[in-house]
Amino acid sequence: MDSWLYYFPQLLSSGITIGAIYALVGLGFVTISRASQIINFAQGEFVMLGGVITFFLLNGVKLPYPLAALIAIMIVILIGFMMHVLVIYPLRKASILILMMATLGASIFLSSTNGLIFGTLPKTLPPFSGEHPFQIGEIPILPQNLWVLLSTFILLIVLYLLSHRTLLGKAMEASSTDPLGADLLGISRNLMVFLAFGVSAGVGAIAGILITPLFFTNYSSGTLLGLKGFIAAVLGGWGKNSGAILGGFVLGIVESLSLAFIPSGYKDAVAFVILLLILYFRPKGILGSPYIDSRRW
Amino acid sequence: MVETKKNEFRKRDFFYLVPLWLISLMAPDPYLYHKKGFKKKDLFYLGVLVLAPLIWSDSHFHHLMVLAGIYATLALGLSLFMGYAGQISLGHAAFFGIGAYTTAILTTRYAIPTFLAFWASALSAAVIASLIGRSILKLKGYFLALATLGFGEIFLVIVRESTDFTGGVIGIFGIPWFSVMGFSFDTYLRQYYLTWGVLMGLFIFSKNLVRSKVGRSLLAVAASEDAASSVGINVPWIKLESFVLGAAFSGLAGSLFACVMSTANPEAFSLGFTVLIVMMVILGGMGNLYGPIAGAILLTWVMDILSKYQEYSLPIYGVILILLLVFFPDGIGTRFNVRLIYLIGYWAKKKKRDEGKL
Amino acid sequence: MSFLSIERITKGYDGIRALDGVSLGLEKGSIKGLIGPNGAGKSTLFHLISGVEKPDSGKIYFKEREITSMKSHEISALGIGRTFQTLQIWGNMTVVENIMAGMNRRLKGGLFSCGLWLPWIRRSEKEALKEAKEILDSLGLLGKWESMASQLPYGKQKLLELGRALAMKPDLLLLDEPASGLTSTEMQQLSKQISQIGQEGVTIFIVEHHMGMVMEIADEIAVLHNGKLIAEGTPDGVRRNPEVIEAYLKSKKTDA
Repeated sequence: MDSWLYYFPQLLSSGITIGAIYALVGLGFVTISRASQIINFAQGEFVMLGGVITFFLLNGVKLPYPLAALIAIMIVILIGFMMHVLVIYPLRKASILILMMATLGASIFLSSTNGLIFGTLPKTLPPFSGEHPFQIGEIPILPQNLWVLLSTFILLIVLYLLSHRTLLGKAMEASSTDPLGADLLGISRNLMVFLAFGVSAGVGAIAGILITPLFFTNYSSGTLLGLKGFIAAVLGGWGKNSGAILGGFVLGIVESLSLAFIPSGYKDAVAFVILLLILYFRPKGILGSPYIDSRRW
Repeated sequence: MVETKKNEFRKRDFFYLVPLWLISLMAPDPYLYHKKGFKKKDLFYLGVLVLAPLIWSDSHFHHLMVLAGIYATLALGLSLFMGYAGQISLGHAAFFGIGAYTTAILTTRYAIPTFLAFWASALSAAVIASLIGRSILKLKGYFLALATLGFGEIFLVIVRESTDFTGGVIGIFGIPWFSVMGFSFDTYLRQYYLTWGVLMGLFIFSKNLVRSKVGRSLLAVAASEDAASSVGINVPWIKLESFVLGAAFSGLAGSLFACVMSTANPEAFSLGFTVLIVMMVILGGMGNLYGPIAGAILLTWVMDILSKYQEYSLPIYGVILILLLVFFPDGIGTRFNVRLIYLIGYWAKKKKRDEGKL
Repeated sequence: MSFLSIERITKGYDGIRALDGVSLGLEKGSIKGLIGPNGAGKSTLFHLISGVEKPDSGKIYFKEREITSMKSHEISALGIGRTFQTLQIWGNMTVVENIMAGMNRRLKGGLFSCGLWLPWIRRSEKEALKEAKEILDSLGLLGKWESMASQLPYGKQKLLELGRALAMKPDLLLLDEPASGLTSTEMQQLSKQISQIGQEGVTIFIVEHHMGMVMEIADEIAVLHNGKLIAEGTPDGVRRNPEVIEAYLKSKKTDA
């Protein structure tokens, strides 16, 4: 019991950090899913690609850090667009099973091509502002942790403004709430889904760049990250941005704290156990979900 | 010069077109597939299966077909749950693993004969399936898919971590060959007859199920659960039954796999494997029993060809998956699609021939 | 006691009271109609009786057993068959298989006996097929017995759903708007069919918007409006009931 308390602050802080990443990945899922009812299993790959491409541009092409990051984000957004055009659009009328399998196929393609082009070694990026941890009370915190939180916060505000204040954002909202009505108004559903893929890819890439200085990115860790992001979104309340964020942090913290109690190898299972528990006891998630009719579950 | 070139093309044509013709025979005619009894073409298939390894006596071919048979058993069980009852499971690879590990542990540590371990594997998979099925099957659609995925992942993590019990990441070695009453299935040829024999037995069982009241109950649950309960069909029970049955088939397949490969390790049952078997079911076309078998043969063959490309194999695999889903979401088996492949193949060969002549 | 007895049933969805303290009963062998303006709660009542949904409060008795909390398939097994407002036939099977699946409860056999195709399963299948064809014949659908159910025209699909409910040999038949979408000739045939079924001893509870049909075949009519039972009695009596007339006029006004 003594050691549990000792590690608690550290576990908490790393949990919050990784929770922010899960929140961002979950947001990516929710964005696409609101526009189109699709679950994009390749979401995690966008994160990995963000980190890996930035690494390549920084070290291989020797671009300055901010420029490398920006170009990497744009490339990943482009990949997101291409994924829509090549995979999602042709299957727009197919069943959910087929779409799920297609996104899984895309995930396999993206992760293996990532490994092929950029190599299989884990990559890391320099932290944004130095490596010295500073102390808040007893807890050592890396500046990067704060960057992650800050950027997540800013990103959330930007997304909120986009969806509620701009015309485009409102169109996307309309398309997800009432596709037929939006269609009648001239809002092309396919265009909205296309844009949703771009936004998700961008958010994912940013998450990747944020997380790489702390944890390595690698071609193969995308799948698991994507799944956890999805679990976070379900946990918090499927279909809501706020749900994805809350779920992300809760998942991150719980997962991190569980390390104090169980062998580290089981860490990944924690997320899935949480998933099963939530689906069984409260499929609506913590905040409730407009999409799930709990009457019939 | 021109003569030999012509002949070359002819031979290669034959090589491509015969399998396609075979597939077209297998393809269920979409307007008559409700005639669910045993037909004359089943005898034809049986004949082909029995004679095939004797005609092509290449050992690599045998090995491939052994694997195909095992995967086909897996796909067949899964298709009862997905194709007929209309549910989704992305975690059946876990039952395959349970079967393999059950056999592995029983035969290597407790010296139980493989024949008994075989049935024990089916039992253990079925028992675990019935335990988790009760709660998971309350979910539908995406959430069922996710829950089964979650279960699959948890199983994988547990297997990897409990090194004492399951040998962890390394797995268990030294599983003996499958043997019945002293007759040991140690060559690929013998294993071929073993796996396909098991598959035939399970196929007959499934076909009987499908054309009986159980099959109708499955289809009813898939089409409309409310209507099914209104005629007295116990919907949760049917879902559980088909889930457990699929798991039992997977357990048997896993047991055979362990005996064929002599090892059991966690990497064989990962998410990639689940994707593969679900693809087999989809490609074969949901709602018929020949489909998953054809899908298994096709994908095993494709995987074999891909393995020659080393590090490019996975990206190509991803692309092929997507292409197959885009072009054949109802499965390759519909006559129209097969004729299309046939025509494209023929046209491509014709083009080559014309260019060759130039 | 009544054959079917509904006592003070209340059901709400997200704040809207679909049914508010409704009580009514059916006598064995009678045909009862349930009418009311749209949204009055008629289909909800059927869902509650057949067990698809559970009431917030109140009890339902069938053949003197309480079925309020029983599972849907158990309730059906007691002898309640139904058709659906939204037409739920099984399009992935043939016409005759739809009927045969309806007989499921009466057929013997479990997982293993079917899988091994034991001799008595074979016999049972043959008999089931024969009986199913007879049912189809009585409904005039025999000609298409081998086609896929999804290929039938709408009117015939409705008949098929009726046939499926009959295949169960129910004691109580719940018909939810069986005439919607039918042409007038089809409706006349349906009327005759339903009367005939009633004469064979099946108790029928029918929700229908077509006044003519309901008035003709029902022995008794109940009227729902805004979740409350506002009238119950003979067709003539209900037709003249001032509350009923007002309810329909009112809803006509709000519709306009």
